[in-house]
Amino acid sequence: MITRRQFGRVAGGALAALASRRPVGAAAPRDIEMRGTARGERVWFAPLAIAVAPGAMLRFVNHDKGNSHTATTYHPAIFDRPRRIPSGAAPWDSDFLLPGASFEVTLSVPGVYDYYCIPHEHAGMVGRIVVGRPGDPGWEGPAGDAGDLPEAALKAFPRVAEILAKGRIMPEDLA
Amino acid sequence: MFHRMIIAALGATLFMAAPASAHDEEALRNAPPAAPYAKVSDLVALPDFLPGLGMLYVDPATLPAGPFLGYDRDGKLAATIYMTPIEALESGTSFDDLGVGSHNVSAVDIYYNAGHPGVDKPHAHVVLLHGEDARARLAE
Repeated sequence: MITRRQFGRVAGGALAALASRRPVGAAAPRDIEMRGTARGERVWFAPLAIAVAPGAMLRFVNHDKGNSHTATTYHPAIFDRPRRIPSGAAPWDSDFLLPGASFEVTLSVPGVYDYYCIPHEHAGMVGRIVVGRPGDPGWEGPAGDAGDLPEAALKAFPRVAEILAKGRIMPEDLA
Repeated sequence: MFHRMIIAALGATLFMAAPASAHDEEALRNAPPAAPYAKVSDLVALPDFLPGLGMLYVDPATLPAGPFLGYDRDGKLAATIYMTPIEALESGTSFDDLGVGSHNVSAVDIYYNAGHPGVDKPHAHVVLLHGEDARARLAE
């Protein structure tokens, strides 16, 4: 797993430089936006869920002008949370991203990855990434145990079959 | 009309409560306020200026409720903000005798907030706006 963090507009040049060093033919990262209403009544990841091929790069970008967000995997190594990523995958934590900042991660181990925003988990700001498909070598499906997750988080995860069927699910798709 | 009466009543209540818990208005008029106030963006990962709330300062000992002092981009006090976790209110916690940044309260906004660094559970924002132009000065 490879991760990389960028700090807002100041790092724009650096981002471009790093991007230019990607291997020729490498796919552009798939963006997952962090968003919220002006007064912070609602916060969300968009898309809420996405299906990608093994080796895909995901980029979390904070588009919320009035808040900071994280993309943090559920894993015992990070705040002693229950593991909700494949056992062979390394956990990641973007740390707090201020408006305009971004964080990239490349996911290679097939399976279901659940993550959350540290200050907004209780508001249901979680996301799900499905890497590959059931049957892929090493595939590990969604966690069955609720663990210590708040109800708002648990009920926000879309079903894996629906994610695979649609490719991605936006928050408004569930409204 | 009813809302104006409520605002007037709240303003009067705050004014009457002032002797027990008032701040030194003159000392808080311009940013930065003296210690124990600290800049919120130095304490937690938040932007220096939050649209609608401004540049926030708080005495960390008063968290989570505050008062938070919101200054406009010119460093002039524009709002006093309180942040009260819904869970705490539901369990019977009250937040009493909170300080006020200014006794000039032109309007009060109360709304739900899903959370942010520093107050990371759903809570209410109670915003006392100081002056008719305060909302505009805090907008962007």
